[in-house]
Amino acid sequence: MTDVTAQSRPAARPGGTRSDLLRQIWISRADYLYVLPAIVVMLVVIAYPIYYTVDLSFYKTPPGLQLKDKSFVWFDNYTTILTSGVFWRVTLNTVIWTIASTLIAFVLGYALALALHREFAGRGIMRAIFIVPWVISAVAASYIWKWIYHSDFGIIGVVMVQLGIVDRPPNFIDSVNTVLPSLIVVNIWREFPFAMIMMMAGLQTVPEQLLRAAQVDGASAWQRFWHVTFPHLRGVSTVTVLLLAVANFNSFIIPWIMTGGGPSNASHIWITHIYELAFGRQRWGVASAYSVLLFIILMTLGYFYVRALSQGERRERGA
Amino acid sequence: MTTFILRGAAVRGAAIAVLTASLTATTALAEPPVDLSKWSPDYVRSIAGTEEFDTAAECGKVTPLDYKGRLTFWYQGVFEGDPDLLRQYYKDFFETFRKTYPNIQLEEQALTYNDLLDKFRTALLGNAAPMAVRLQILGGTEFASKGYLEPLKPEDVGWSTEDFWPGAMKAVTWDGVTYGIPTNNETMALIWNADIFKRAGLDPDSPPATWDDVVAYSKQIHDKLGIAGYGLVARKNAGNTPYRFMPQLWGYGGGVFDEADASPNYGEVRLNSEASKRALQASYDMYVRDKSVPTSALTNQQADNQPLFVAGQLGMMISHPSDYNVMLDLQKKATGADKEKAQTVIDNMRYGLIPTGPDGKRAVVFGGSNIHILKPEYVEGGKVDEPAAKAIICFWTSPEWSLKMAYAGSNPGNLNGFKTKWMKERLDNIKFLDVTTSMLPYGIPFPALPQAPEIMNIIVPDMLQNALTGAMTVDQAADDAAEKVKELMGGL
Repeated sequence: MTDVTAQSRPAARPGGTRSDLLRQIWISRADYLYVLPAIVVMLVVIAYPIYYTVDLSFYKTPPGLQLKDKSFVWFDNYTTILTSGVFWRVTLNTVIWTIASTLIAFVLGYALALALHREFAGRGIMRAIFIVPWVISAVAASYIWKWIYHSDFGIIGVVMVQLGIVDRPPNFIDSVNTVLPSLIVVNIWREFPFAMIMMMAGLQTVPEQLLRAAQVDGASAWQRFWHVTFPHLRGVSTVTVLLLAVANFNSFIIPWIMTGGGPSNASHIWITHIYELAFGRQRWGVASAYSVLLFIILMTLGYFYVRALSQGERRERGA
Repeated sequence: MTTFILRGAAVRGAAIAVLTASLTATTALAEPPVDLSKWSPDYVRSIAGTEEFDTAAECGKVTPLDYKGRLTFWYQGVFEGDPDLLRQYYKDFFETFRKTYPNIQLEEQALTYNDLLDKFRTALLGNAAPMAVRLQILGGTEFASKGYLEPLKPEDVGWSTEDFWPGAMKAVTWDGVTYGIPTNNETMALIWNADIFKRAGLDPDSPPATWDDVVAYSKQIHDKLGIAGYGLVARKNAGNTPYRFMPQLWGYGGGVFDEADASPNYGEVRLNSEASKRALQASYDMYVRDKSVPTSALTNQQADNQPLFVAGQLGMMISHPSDYNVMLDLQKKATGADKEKAQTVIDNMRYGLIPTGPDGKRAVVFGGSNIHILKPEYVEGGKVDEPAAKAIICFWTSPEWSLKMAYAGSNPGNLNGFKTKWMKERLDNIKFLDVTTSMLPYGIPFPALPQAPEIMNIIVPDMLQNALTGAMTVDQAADDAAEKVKELMGGL
């Protein structure tokens, strides 16, 4: 049974004795038991794969051999990655993909949230329509967009030709110059509803009396937004941007289904490249080293995410 | 109307003989059930329907029909580009197997060509593979060389090694040991739309004789009609790409190694030879210079060419005879004017031999699939029910089912399949079958190397994409690909 008095007892002092700590653990033993299954599951499905991936990143895994025949090579895989031209190209693609998708989806979602926050006829229907891209399966959406973009008979190209805007359908996903921007558009289309929902939820928490007071004081709509709404939504904005950034860094479905990273690696981002290295080319060691680097980047983003959440909580407590 | 281009046969006779020898040569060749030296459409017609086979009785000798067991089985199944007819045969196969072996609990899983290798490799790493697997021809040596497969030869399931194409047996042999049995083997052909040819000012009944002609015809069709001339495919990680580019590469006299020679030893990388570069240049000319092929070639596969073809927007493509049935399926689904347009295309659909290179060399990929048994340590549960696995392998590689499962687009792996009544029926029902039958002697197997899947699915398509997107020149793309192959092979 949980010791309900545990919270009221003084916590172990920093630098307290080991027996103090053990006593605290003993007192809270029921709490630890409650979370034990979750910790075990996490160890099995998260901690072990992370350990294994880190371990594998120090081995050479020739594609012609079984994985058990790997050989220890210290940091060779990391050196291979960092000195490879493909790495820098894929990294640039990933950075462009992540920043452009995140920022544009966020700004678009924010703007729509502000627009849909106002009362007007049909607002509910508009909200439902804007959420559709988010609820469609990413796989289905990728196939639909592949046909929309099709370089020979995609609907955009056909319409543009019929309207006399161009002579030939534009090349969206079969050109190294346009493929990444074209995929980013699809990603933004998929993600802006998420930002919109988050910001709409945030807008519900902006105190109405503050906005009214600012209006009485003669503040314009822009001033009310900039001085009242925007600061109030800083916390939820940070969380939304960080969540979008993490999701975009980890993107796989849209680029893989629509182009497979091509043409000529122009739409490869980290995850698709890692997938190809591992499952297509069986360079498990190099792919693991890539994954470790990606893990470090995402953990850094995760740290800022947790910090943003903590700051938000502190602000709420302060309020 | 089927049209064959057999002009200059005498000139090309020597090349054919070498290729045929390559496919048929084997160290311990006993008497095969068919005479491969007489191989021609007429010969195939003469042997069709001459023998009866009782599959259940034959397989019952390998695994008793009342055997009780459990089998997990993955197979390369039908995909979006296959005709409905083939779907029905797959369904029939599993129904018949279950009726014949009612006590074998079969857990089968179909995977498409492009997904199977990735998933199978992943399963092997986790020791979660199925007990038996049917892989594309490229995969046999990769998994055999790594020690995942049990030795398995036709004799183990009641057939004889000589019942199968010797060239196909090479694809399941590693280090002198046989690790699988071919289920089907095939060669593709050139398909063209005679109506488009006529409207473009070309002879509607004469396909391009050489690859240079393909380039010229494609341009003429595009320039005159504003549609795509040739159905180029250059997507990465898609089997369709090497199946269409390698005939071109070999035709021009190039190759990844010396796989097109009579006795290949894969000792030299030829991907950046002058001949190979000429083949790549031909693709470049069609895609970049003439813009006479679908722009979507870099992200599409053959399944995307099929709707273009049936819509009358594509003049030529390389594919199986099954594409005729696919066109019929697509036509059934069309409505209004589209239905009529599709019918016109079907009426004007022609099949011919794959064009030759400038020196008269004709080549095509000797494709197909193999079936294998896994070692227990890599299988989920650590056990392989060998009698159950042999039962399904005997079934699939039998004359009856190796023919039926390849009914629309391929050919039976078991040569006795050509003698069955179903082959006779098939010759009457499947249009243009003669052409691919005629292409079989020109078939060249992919290099029987564990690295072949990466070379064919990644390096060769990358080379094409690098040249066609302008990321590299033709020379640079070929040199880059050759370097990658050398690196992969450990510095050849």
